[in-house]
Amino acid sequence: MKKTDAQREDIARWLAGTDIGYFELHTPFETLRFGAPEARPAATTLRAGSVGVFRHAHPLHAAALAPIGEPVPAGRAVGLLQIGPLLLPVIAPVAGRVARRLADDGATVGFGAPLIEFQTN
Amino acid sequence: MIEILSNAALATVQDLGRSGSLRWGVGTAGAMDDLALAAGNLMLGNAVGAAGIEIPVFPFKLRFGADCAFALTGADCDARLDERPLLPWWTHRARAGEVLALGVPKGPMRASRALLCLSGGVDVPEVLGSRSTQLRGAFGGFDGRALKRGDVLRCGHDGHGRPTGFGLVPPALAMPLQRDGIAAVRVLPAAEYLAFEPASREAFWNRAWKITAQSDRYGYRLDGEALRPIAPMELLSHGIVPGVIQVPHSGQPIVQMRDAQPSGGYPKFGTVIEADLWRLGQAPIGSRIRFIETTWAQAVAARDEARQWLAKVERMVALHCGARSSGR
Repeated sequence: MKKTDAQREDIARWLAGTDIGYFELHTPFETLRFGAPEARPAATTLRAGSVGVFRHAHPLHAAALAPIGEPVPAGRAVGLLQIGPLLLPVIAPVAGRVARRLADDGATVGFGAPLIEFQTN
Repeated sequence: MIEILSNAALATVQDLGRSGSLRWGVGTAGAMDDLALAAGNLMLGNAVGAAGIEIPVFPFKLRFGADCAFALTGADCDARLDERPLLPWWTHRARAGEVLALGVPKGPMRASRALLCLSGGVDVPEVLGSRSTQLRGAFGGFDGRALKRGDVLRCGHDGHGRPTGFGLVPPALAMPLQRDGIAAVRVLPAAEYLAFEPASREAFWNRAWKITAQSDRYGYRLDGEALRPIAPMELLSHGIVPGVIQVPHSGQPIVQMRDAQPSGGYPKFGTVIEADLWRLGQAPIGSRIRFIETTWAQAVAARDEARQWLAKVERMVALHCGARSSGR
């Protein structure tokens, strides 16, 4: 059942008394949003800084450096670019999460190729 | 400057070894994984043979007393700088006060020794041309002994301005060597090889050998089908080097490692080639190893392959660091 207008006003009044900037309520019937839409996450594309082979995981590890959707702090490697024996990190520019990988593990990529869709907090 | 926080024994200062002193009865010592030490140094812009710290027992902790660039190679051991996880075979920058903690090595490619290189190398005096710890003679390295809690070591410089935050594909992946899915090393038959029974010679190459708990920097005692001489042998003591595989009366072979004594009297079955000593040096206790018969020419080619890998690392690191410091 959808919320009534009176219930919505109750939620808005309750929110006004808190420090919550943005509030989203999912029910089986609807999604209600209160507050500033600019508080929603923004996406950035992380690109290859060099020609190389894109690696989702460190070659010694089975697990990806940054599993999709898991929070990562700023500065953390979320992928690797292999150039011969060298491994260069693809770095999270700010805190956020990997939303999507845009190149396959082991794919040879060119300079500037999109590698990761990164969602900032 | 770093301060050791662990009493984990057997961590030692090592470089590429003390060559040229066997005639005085002084063994070579040096890093059990010389490729890991050399590669760590190259990532930092150090001389390839600068001294580092070999860490074989975990967990291990140290604190950086000042800012310092460092490289961690060898065993992948769940390293952390304060709470930040560190990638293996990678260069990092520590700030004064941060604690480096090494956990237990893991993974399908489990190795047994971590190598910590510091910018400018570990600053200990050179003795007979090397900074390696000579445990038998109690000289070289840090006071001629393994490190213990409270020891303070200086590094050459802080590596300021040197790019860090990159790594290498480990040589175990770049130059893999296995036989039937088991880690392997190449061996040259030695002087008394033909004095062993043909069945023993065959078993040596065709069976896996277990690395027993009686294995350390001095030597690895192996467990497998006993090697039987055709007739008992009594030899006078003679010079031996790291890699020599001796067969005592039990028939269970001993591979001499970096801290091997410079002479021995047991029959010599073979010699692990110089280029593969690092593979054995990283093989964990309890793991199994296979031996592959090789020739002098193949042994020289294997050494050249390792040298070429290091040369490529040096070239790629120079390109990367050059590009980074010219303002990219």
